[in-house]
Amino acid sequence: MGIFDIIWQYKQAFWQGIKVTIKLASIVWSIGLVAGIILGVLSDRYRRTVGYSVFFISFLLSGIPILVILYWAHYPLQVLLNKVIDPFFTACAVLALVNTFAVTDLVRNIMANFPEQYAVAARVCGLKSRTIIWNIKMPIVLRQLIPGLLTSQVAILQATLFASLISVEEIFRVSQQINASVYKPVQIYTALALFFLLICLPLNGLALWLKAKFTRDLSER
Amino acid sequence: MLTGQGINKRFGKVEALRGVNISVRPGKITLLVGPSGSGKTTLLKCLAFLERPDSGTVSFNGNSFSYPEAGMPEETPWPELTVVFQQHFLWPHLTIRENILLPVIKRKQTKSNGFEELVALFEMEDFIDRYPNQVSLGQRQRAALARALVLNPKVILLDEITSALDVEQIGKIAKHLLELRSRGIGMLLITHLLGFAKGLLHKGEGDEIVFLEKGEVLEAGGIEVLKSPRHSRVREFISQIEFTFASE
Repeated sequence: MGIFDIIWQYKQAFWQGIKVTIKLASIVWSIGLVAGIILGVLSDRYRRTVGYSVFFISFLLSGIPILVILYWAHYPLQVLLNKVIDPFFTACAVLALVNTFAVTDLVRNIMANFPEQYAVAARVCGLKSRTIIWNIKMPIVLRQLIPGLLTSQVAILQATLFASLISVEEIFRVSQQINASVYKPVQIYTALALFFLLICLPLNGLALWLKAKFTRDLSER
Repeated sequence: MLTGQGINKRFGKVEALRGVNISVRPGKITLLVGPSGSGKTTLLKCLAFLERPDSGTVSFNGNSFSYPEAGMPEETPWPELTVVFQQHFLWPHLTIRENILLPVIKRKQTKSNGFEELVALFEMEDFIDRYPNQVSLGQRQRAALARALVLNPKVILLDEITSALDVEQIGKIAKHLLELRSRGIGMLLITHLLGFAKGLLHKGEGDEIVFLEKGEVLEAGGIEVLKSPRHSRVREFISQIEFTFASE
């Protein structure tokens, strides 16, 4: 039985797993990108208040593996709160939290390192604040930000695999279940790898291309 | 006319400027000379309203701003008063053409501000549609100068604009600066190229040379400051520069 025979035979199950993975990733991406960009901008603008708090949480989170946070939110936290939460939502919350702070870090660093001289040069050319933000700051910041964002979102997509460990029926868990019943690990896990390659490679490629195109040398030599 | 009177500026314990008086008059060139760290760029920023002096008065076009009370001018003085920085600060995401034309377009000025003439004058035809990182340092310097000139400023502050140019380009820029002076544009020029400075100054009466050290004006006056300085430190500095450039 080849890879495509396996995929075809279990297409329903695979499709279900893919749908859960895509749904999970989409929610995590959306929350992380929106909240992360807002927090990043706020961190840069209000460095003493928001900036330091966010930096502290971010620093704390970076020291704990995602899997530990996921397990902690799935078992001890729910026991403490005396609540039972659908593992899918637990995974969404944890991964969104991690993604939010990863994006916040990226945005904050790029905003903090924005060469203010470009804005000064715009001011002495008589440009107004709004023009400086839209025509100078935003394009420069976005060009530096997008490749990093794409790479981080690919990493988050790959981190959705951890959700299988708290029983979320995503693609990895489905693959494990199929393998448990037919035992064709080579075909099944190759199919799984193909799925991730299909999504991650174009994103990584796009990130590389954008990086090559836009993040040439912003500094004046 | 742009003047600075009694300008003081301190960064922590360092006194960057101490009671500096300077003026940039229409159609005249003021040359600001001094060793590194003497406060030239800080003074330039104070005069350009980019840095707040701790005390003193900056006046531009009849409007006086006395510090520390004064805030930023309500009507921004730019680009009637503009600056060309040593590091150029061309916007990296825009081509040279876009860099020059963005302020013109956004300020709804007509394209006929001499854009084509400046492109021709500074020989920018070959690289006008390239990005700043795709051109040489000298080409970037010419582009930065063109970006300021296309806005028809009344006073232009030039911080080491010739540092990356070859002799031929320096000659062309000198010629253009003289033309600007004849059109009544006042210029403050920071440069170490005394030959370049002399070439600009000897043809004009009323031009001024200001020698700054440790934030203080040691000597100020006409072309004679370069030819026969009275202050021993100025003499030493000028002879050192002349020796350095002569040996090159």
